[in-house]
Amino acid sequence: MASKIKKPTFEESFRELEKIVAEFESKEVDLEKGLAGFERGMELAQFCKKHLEEVENKVVEIKKRFGGVLGENEEGT
Amino acid sequence: MQIFTVSEFITVLNDIMRRSISPHEVGILGEVAEYKVSQDKWIWFKLKDDQGVIDCFATVWQMRTPLENGMKINAYGFPKVHPKSGKFAINVERVELIGEGALRRAFELLKKKLETEGLFALERKRMLPQFPEHIALIASRESAAYTDFIRIVNNRWSGLTIHLYHVAVQGASAIKEIVSAFAECQMSDVRCQVLVLIRGGGSIEDLQAFNSEEVARAIFASKIPVVVGVGHERDETIADYVADRRASTPSNAAEMLVPDRREIGYAISVMSERLRDRMDYALESNKDRLADMTSALARFTGRKIEYVREAARRIAERFAQISVRTHDRVTGAIRILENLNPEKLLARGYSVVFKNGHVVRSVKTLARGDVVSIRLGQGTFDGDIREIKT
Repeated sequence: MASKIKKPTFEESFRELEKIVAEFESKEVDLEKGLAGFERGMELAQFCKKHLEEVENKVVEIKKRFGGVLGENEEGT
Repeated sequence: MQIFTVSEFITVLNDIMRRSISPHEVGILGEVAEYKVSQDKWIWFKLKDDQGVIDCFATVWQMRTPLENGMKINAYGFPKVHPKSGKFAINVERVELIGEGALRRAFELLKKKLETEGLFALERKRMLPQFPEHIALIASRESAAYTDFIRIVNNRWSGLTIHLYHVAVQGASAIKEIVSAFAECQMSDVRCQVLVLIRGGGSIEDLQAFNSEEVARAIFASKIPVVVGVGHERDETIADYVADRRASTPSNAAEMLVPDRREIGYAISVMSERLRDRMDYALESNKDRLADMTSALARFTGRKIEYVREAARRIAERFAQISVRTHDRVTGAIRILENLNPEKLLARGYSVVFKNGHVVRSVKTLARGDVVSIRLGQGTFDGDIREIKT
């Protein structure tokens, strides 16, 4: 089965960023390895900030599926 | 003239009464007295006003509302003469509590009952997700509670899908609709991460659905955390007690459910700054490496160490001015410094010529017949000068 790249959620990105920052704070940063983390961290920060500014909220009203309430006409069917 | 046997008469009488008085149309208003439950199954009580009294009977499982002597109620049921005893009683199918007193009393009784059962237990309350993506909302879409909630959510956060289950939050069908919404949500294909139940404030009569056992049990049975927000700062409803989190108002519920984008944006900025700071610090500590390299270079070229250091710094700076991206800046600077490393130069094919221990930089210092020493990337050899080319 072909692998599908799942779009990262805001939460996943934010958590990863937190993790990178924690790693940077906890130990000596090796310049070479640190660069990769730094780049990734900046990438994640960018993604998160974009998400905050752009994406909107959606309201979806759920109509009941089977008999009962939630606004559907009870006569006939 | 008709003659009936006793049992026939009772049957006819019951039939006549059943046909003319139906619990869907007729209710009896009175005060409860002599309330007793036998064998945890049968309930007997009297319903009275100041001039009359009538016997009532019900089963425990049918009578969901806890009653007490002195409560005013509307009773709905079938009048019946019990053949075996000749006793007349109303077979009560359902009751409504009348008046604040009765409702408060029922509230106290139910609260005690559910608390004892463990529906309010703190240990069972679950954490809310910090960044929800799918929220189930049970509310009346016509209400101010709903508009307030949506407005605040939109102000604070984005990327959310709100699954709205529109219900009546008071009135005869409220309990049924709310319970049904809970059931729908549990079975939905979409996995909501949290459920929120909201309504505006109201009198104790208005809030009956939120003080009902059925709604309380639906909240308790929910597989996802439930936030209840009744627009009512003072009194709490039973639903508030069972909920995983209680919000003081529908707006407060919105604040609880989603973060403020400004606060999160600030947190992201702080984290970016920290990364940059740590990166700069790493660069600083690499200045030691730079010092070693400049010393080696100075030894090799015979130049003063300050000169070499200055040259290296100017090169790195110039490179930094050209490149905007920090990554390029850093890697570029590293590359330049490494290339200045004499060993690297020799490895690339350059050689150094020595005469009498000094580095030869110009042919002016050489004459035909001089002996020179040549240092390669690998090894050293001596040579005689054959010819100077100009």
